[in-house]
Amino acid sequence: MAIQISCTSLNELPEVVEQVLRASEGIAIWALEGDLGAGKTTFLQAAGKHLGVREAIQSPTFSLVNEYTLPDGTPVYHFDFYRLETAEEALDIGAEEYFYSGARCWIEWASRIEPYLPVPRLSIYIHRRDNEERIFEIERYE
Amino acid sequence: MQVTILAIESSCDDTSAAVIQDSKIRSNIVANQEVHKEYGGVVPELASRAHQQHIIPVVDKALKVAGVRPEELTAIACTRGPGLLGSLLVGVSFAKAMALALNIPLIDVHHMKAHILAHFIEPPVPSFPFLCLTVSGGHTQLVRVDAPLQMTVLGETLDDAVGEAFDKTAKLLGLPYPGGPLIDRYAKEGNPHAFTFPMPQVEGLHFSFSGLKTSILNFLQKHTRADKHFVEKHLPDICASVQHTFVQVLLQKLEQAVVQTGITEVAIAGGVSANSALRAALQQKAEQAGWRVFIPAMQYCTDNAAMIAMAAHFQYLEGDFASLQMHATARWSIS
Repeated sequence: MAIQISCTSLNELPEVVEQVLRASEGIAIWALEGDLGAGKTTFLQAAGKHLGVREAIQSPTFSLVNEYTLPDGTPVYHFDFYRLETAEEALDIGAEEYFYSGARCWIEWASRIEPYLPVPRLSIYIHRRDNEERIFEIERYE
Repeated sequence: MQVTILAIESSCDDTSAAVIQDSKIRSNIVANQEVHKEYGGVVPELASRAHQQHIIPVVDKALKVAGVRPEELTAIACTRGPGLLGSLLVGVSFAKAMALALNIPLIDVHHMKAHILAHFIEPPVPSFPFLCLTVSGGHTQLVRVDAPLQMTVLGETLDDAVGEAFDKTAKLLGLPYPGGPLIDRYAKEGNPHAFTFPMPQVEGLHFSFSGLKTSILNFLQKHTRADKHFVEKHLPDICASVQHTFVQVLLQKLEQAVVQTGITEVAIAGGVSANSALRAALQQKAEQAGWRVFIPAMQYCTDNAAMIAMAAHFQYLEGDFASLQMHATARWSIS
């Protein structure tokens, strides 16, 4: 069942992060969707901050995947499949090895690789309202 | 003795190989459909499997164009990082195998340092210390360069790279991806002051383009609501204004860095160096403020192995070699 979280300004993002983390208990994969400018990367920056990621969380649109480290030394893989033309290209970069490594994986433009998205995962859809207002629709797939 | 190095670059989308002989580039081959046609086969667009298919033809061609036989090589260099792990692995494994087979040293090159050292491929070359702004689809980084192998990052993007901001704006305007160069083309007919966008407020010498992307999106939505043909009617003005804003963001930080460091030797590198407004703004700055500005030839701005070869040459001179245990490093900072 999908949960909706409303976020009226950037200041509320940390609370959204906490709710999403609670909802994703036991799930390492986050599949993010939302139009250009919806705030997928911005949300992940807030999540990274909350979890204690020390590196700068930059957009992986060009690099396809960025790697960060959590305070306990485990990695976080941050994907962006915006540039892909076919879902199979994700396999060519070894996406499945990252997905099934057990590490946290944050996937932007997840629908581009729909057939290869692992289960269980948390789907996070960011709907853009006006200016800073967003609706986060989250759902567990198990 | 003549120093001849074969360099391999495979950090992202393009596979490239180059040969350098005593600091002179003898060949620089970037994989494209044409190279591949000579060897047959279909070329996938992206990713490591594409590198595997490209690497042998590309290396072979780089050696042939340079007129060098493998036995004549003094060292083999490859990009170790930063980049996409699967892609880097192809170049690193290939270089290791070749170094082992020929029993010659291996040199591991930092991709971002190589972008900067591309300035030493052809004159005019900057003198040390100088500042370099590397701008591309994947990077926006301001670096202080004190010596060929001594660099410090002064600032970088906190979110999107400037090339990505160009490409995504193009997408919002309904232009095909990657549309950065199209914005440059339409901007030539437009008024850069037709519309204004808020400049990002970022501390120090760091950059941010994500908020600007959202402002552009809000701006387009607001106007399109009032007039659904707004974008077609004003495309050149929108492109010129957006481009002007991006260039101002870059220039403002560059000016700040010049003031902070007192260094007026200023270089740019990376694919966005091709942007005509950025070039013009820098040239103007050079005349007004007395900066010396350096922009490498376009073929050395986008990802290429010649720059890896140039960096490898400097590393060779300093005896900076890698062991065969060296591994590809997806995330690797400059300093």
